Amino acid sequence: MADKNNIIEVRNLSVEFRTDEGTVRAVKNISFNIPRGKTVGLVGESGSGKSVTSLAAMRLIPNPPGKITSGEILLDGKDLLKLTEGQMRDIRGNQISMIFQEPMTSLNPVFTVGDQIAETLMLHQKLSKTAALAKSLDLMTQVGIPNPSERIKSYPHELSGGQRQRVMIAMAIACEPDVLIADEPTTALDVTIQKQILDLLADLQKKYQMSILFITHDLGVIADIADEVVVMYRGDIVEKGTTEQIFTKPQHPYTKGLLACRPSLDSNPRRLPVVSDFMNAEGQERPLDVTVMKQQKQNRVVSDAQTTLLQIQNVKKHFPLKKGFFGGVQSWVKAVDDVTLNVRKGRTLGLVGESGCGKTTLGRTILRLIEPTAGSIIYNGTDITKLDREAMRAMRRKMQIIFQDPYASLNPRMTVGAALMEPMIIHNLGNGRNERLEMAGELMKRVGLDRAMLNRYPHEFSGGQRQRICIARALAVKPEFIICDESVSALDVSIQAQILNLLLDLQEEMHLTYVFISHDLAVVKFISDEVAVMYNGKVVEMNDAVGIYEAPQHDYTKKLLSAIPKGMPKHLS
Amino acid sequence: MSTVATQNFVPVAELKAAKGRSLWQDAFRRLRHEKVAMISLAIIIAYLVMAALCAAGLLFTNYNVTDHGAAYLPPGAGHWMGTDIFGRDVMARAAHGTITSLIVGFFGAALAVVIGTVMGAISGYFGGVIDELIVWFYTTVDTIPYILLVVAFSFVVGPGLSTLCLAIGLTSWIGHCRIVRSEFMKHRDREYVHGATALGAGHARRIFVHILPNVFHLVLINFSLGFVTAVKSEVILSYLGLGVAAGTPSWGMMISDAKLELAREVWWGLAAATFFMFFLVLAFTLFNDALRDALDPKLKSR
Amino acid sequence: MLKFILRRLLYMIPIFFGITLVTFVLFNVAGGDPAAQAAGRYATPDQITVMRAEMGLNKPLLNQYFDLVTQLFTFDFGRSWSSKQQISHLITAGIGPSLTVTFPGFVISLLITIPLSLLVAHKRGTFFDKATLVICLALTAISSVVYVLAGQYFFAFRWGMFPISGWDPSWDGRWQYAALPIIIMVSLSLGSYILFFRTVFLDEMYQDYVRTARSKGLGNAKILLKHVLRNALVPIITLVVLQVPFLITGSLLTESFFGIPGLGGLIYQAIQEADFPVIKAMTIISAVLYMVFQLISDILYALVDPKIRLG
Repeated sequence: MADKNNIIEVRNLSVEFRTDEGTVRAVKNISFNIPRGKTVGLVGESGSGKSVTSLAAMRLIPNPPGKITSGEILLDGKDLLKLTEGQMRDIRGNQISMIFQEPMTSLNPVFTVGDQIAETLMLHQKLSKTAALAKSLDLMTQVGIPNPSERIKSYPHELSGGQRQRVMIAMAIACEPDVLIADEPTTALDVTIQKQILDLLADLQKKYQMSILFITHDLGVIADIADEVVVMYRGDIVEKGTTEQIFTKPQHPYTKGLLACRPSLDSNPRRLPVVSDFMNAEGQERPLDVTVMKQQKQNRVVSDAQTTLLQIQNVKKHFPLKKGFFGGVQSWVKAVDDVTLNVRKGRTLGLVGESGCGKTTLGRTILRLIEPTAGSIIYNGTDITKLDREAMRAMRRKMQIIFQDPYASLNPRMTVGAALMEPMIIHNLGNGRNERLEMAGELMKRVGLDRAMLNRYPHEFSGGQRQRICIARALAVKPEFIICDESVSALDVSIQAQILNLLLDLQEEMHLTYVFISHDLAVVKFISDEVAVMYNGKVVEMNDAVGIYEAPQHDYTKKLLSAIPKGMPKHLS
Repeated sequence: MSTVATQNFVPVAELKAAKGRSLWQDAFRRLRHEKVAMISLAIIIAYLVMAALCAAGLLFTNYNVTDHGAAYLPPGAGHWMGTDIFGRDVMARAAHGTITSLIVGFFGAALAVVIGTVMGAISGYFGGVIDELIVWFYTTVDTIPYILLVVAFSFVVGPGLSTLCLAIGLTSWIGHCRIVRSEFMKHRDREYVHGATALGAGHARRIFVHILPNVFHLVLINFSLGFVTAVKSEVILSYLGLGVAAGTPSWGMMISDAKLELAREVWWGLAAATFFMFFLVLAFTLFNDALRDALDPKLKSR
Repeated sequence: MLKFILRRLLYMIPIFFGITLVTFVLFNVAGGDPAAQAAGRYATPDQITVMRAEMGLNKPLLNQYFDLVTQLFTFDFGRSWSSKQQISHLITAGIGPSLTVTFPGFVISLLITIPLSLLVAHKRGTFFDKATLVICLALTAISSVVYVLAGQYFFAFRWGMFPISGWDPSWDGRWQYAALPIIIMVSLSLGSYILFFRTVFLDEMYQDYVRTARSKGLGNAKILLKHVLRNALVPIITLVVLQVPFLITGSLLTESFFGIPGLGGLIYQAIQEADFPVIKAMTIISAVLYMVFQLISDILYALVDPKIRLG
């Protein structure tokens, strides 16, 4: 019998998807409970089946290709999987509601947000349009949308990302549901906005006595708000327990690895532990090499005495925003607004900031992938903004870049071998195909991949492997300087740790200089010697990596730091 | 808990398989499993073979044999699809009409696709003034009704098979050009192209080695779409008196001749040409659909 | 919004210039000697010279170009070579009959195909969907000329349900002649319209907002008719508005077959008789019409899509 204390009990749930390659078991016979009024965090990396599980609870799995093959999902003891579609509709948005990762696409672009909130109320509470709109206004006030009486008439695109997610939340709590399913609700948002949304969810939960199923890939996010945690891995639940148990005494090696591999602000390790330090290929625990984990990062000298490899002087990049009536430009976006930075040889400069702060534009401007509007970029004494095409091309041998999205940064129609040999052909390195193939093989080995994979195409690799290939490609020209533009942001945390370690190893071996661009302060702190904080196109603060975290000067830096989830339950940290 | 295999550990045995599979190979593997696509392809090949045999004088050699005594014979033993006004065998003429349609379809579509790809690539890749000029040009040409443009063109050059191909090719590239342009604009800013730039690749390398292979599937799809459009255009243009020279067998001519024939209850010319054209066009359309699904898996299962 | 419309209006200037230029090049520069054609096959060189002067062909090219633009603005395209009538009269007289056939035909087609496509898109992947798909593809594999020929042959010639051809200019009398062409027009467009709308609806049905609507507890009917349809309105409006100029200029095929004195029939006649001034006038008028309706569709588009409205 169902336990009265649980609002939802999932029993032996299995979900399958049919694909070209055969049937994939996305969720394998899992069971867990959501207690009344509590928050359960469902944690897992991509492909773990966590989102599929949440969609199954709403019976929203697209069929075909997906299918719930067995199990029960009990809401108050009533099996949702046995209901008719009509009965299920009465439950959706009423007793169980859901918010999604992308608030922009999840809202209908052609209706006002007020109408969209009101729609739920009119549907489930049979309110009149006027009454529903009045209540929508109240809900928008509750979720903290500024100026709600005006915003109620806005279309989704007129709101900011955080406000859109607030609208989604208002819509979800409109009928005071028993359960709110939040599927990565803060992943697409900046860290300061993430904090606001998390606080809002915690407040609303108290107010309405809701249960929340919070789905995320980031253990750090749920530490503060979850009462219980369920860890999923490849369609299985590997561990479940109270948040305190999971964070202080994790049992399963995967959980241990997951907790350890995320860089944190208050430790200073030399290398990051990775999941494979804890768990072998069979999912069994392996003896831990404690010495490596205990090594502390040596803070390297970053003073003006150090040779400066790259000087960025008063660099500006302005994009035309609005064209005037006769095509003339009326206003400009100052993406990079007068930035001056020095990058020291053999060191890593971290460039941190939220979306739209201009950090990516700056990175691309340094390599002249985008031409700067003004300023000079002096590399080893040469102002590269003044180089002609041929000289710039030769200069590119020394300066390389690794992008964020490993899926988009490799040409899908080229084999990995061809991709690695292309830079050698362009710069005339190596003698003929065989020697180049040999060199490509060496590169593969260096980034931890098998050289037998040279004949393969990018789509045959996982995200982490692709990022390794991108690194190998950048290394093919034997550069001195590499810009890593959010290079680990799209990866799962366990893979992220591997890539960060690899970057560190390569720096040591090849005496590389990095500019590491990221929105993630913890990652930046781990890998950088110096950190520059960017805000609205300007560098607002610059200091060595430890200094910036221990003694932030600028208000924005302080705000950023306080918004970072601690990665530990509040009362424990 | 059950066994955990992880992507972090490279499954060595699996990776030892030497050759990788390109997206093209993937697509054609998918295509091979589509029954409809394979049947369509077989039909298209059958038409090609028939046209080749006709052209080589091995099949339906009697297509131009006139017999005034045997005018307008209904379908029967000697002539399975009857005879036309000059007593020529309708089935033989319809079979030979395949040649005309294949030529018009192939050259019309090929010309359109080449023009569209070149213009679209230049426009989308370089942007700026060149882009604005090309967009202006095709917006202008697009406002003029297709048929009138072809008519005007035929008046200038004079009717005939090559005019037909030229007229169709020169007027139907715009849609393809638009698509290629927007794809080039999209790919120009993709990270893999930026990556190539960072490695020192010049414009030519970026265009031909990187972007073009990534939009080439659209060229195939639009070619096969254009083929169908061209075959259908031939019929309409023949009806307007702008078709191939009299005497050359063509479905368009047969269909437009039917206007007078039907008044005499002679329906078989129309039926034969429609029958022959129907299966070629349908096979091409179905194949094109499957091709699109196979080349662009994102759209699949819809 | 006003600014948007003004800017869009300004953009018509280069397009207008382009249209006149292309027409001019095709008909006045490249198109052989119109005078020789106008004077007829057996004309003497002297007659041709006279003809040239009459047609203004001995003027410098630039003047000829301005003549063309003047013609357009004064709506005076001279006389037809074959019927010797004022072309502007021929055109104004043709619009009514053309619309009599095309407008009802178009409306009926939309009324049939839009709901049907919604249903097909809703039942995607089922046998019903696949069968409809194949039938539509088969319908589009038959030449439009065949539709007209077969329609006339069976419904009028064989079964005598409608007159074979002809026209009655009175309002009540015209429908007996227009009925069959309308039916043919509708059946002609069924296949391609359903294929188009189905794709439009399917594109929308895979959007995230549909998932949100379902997660609110909305039923299929409401999702389709409110959320999906409202979003699909943008491509539908574009199609509908851009079709209007073709409704005005009528159908070449149907009108010539059924002897309807519309613009399509006029063009057909002009092509048969190599009536240059008429073809030239119709080319330029059709192009300008299309340009104007492109403007209208852009404005409507901006009204329907809230993202553009303020931008």
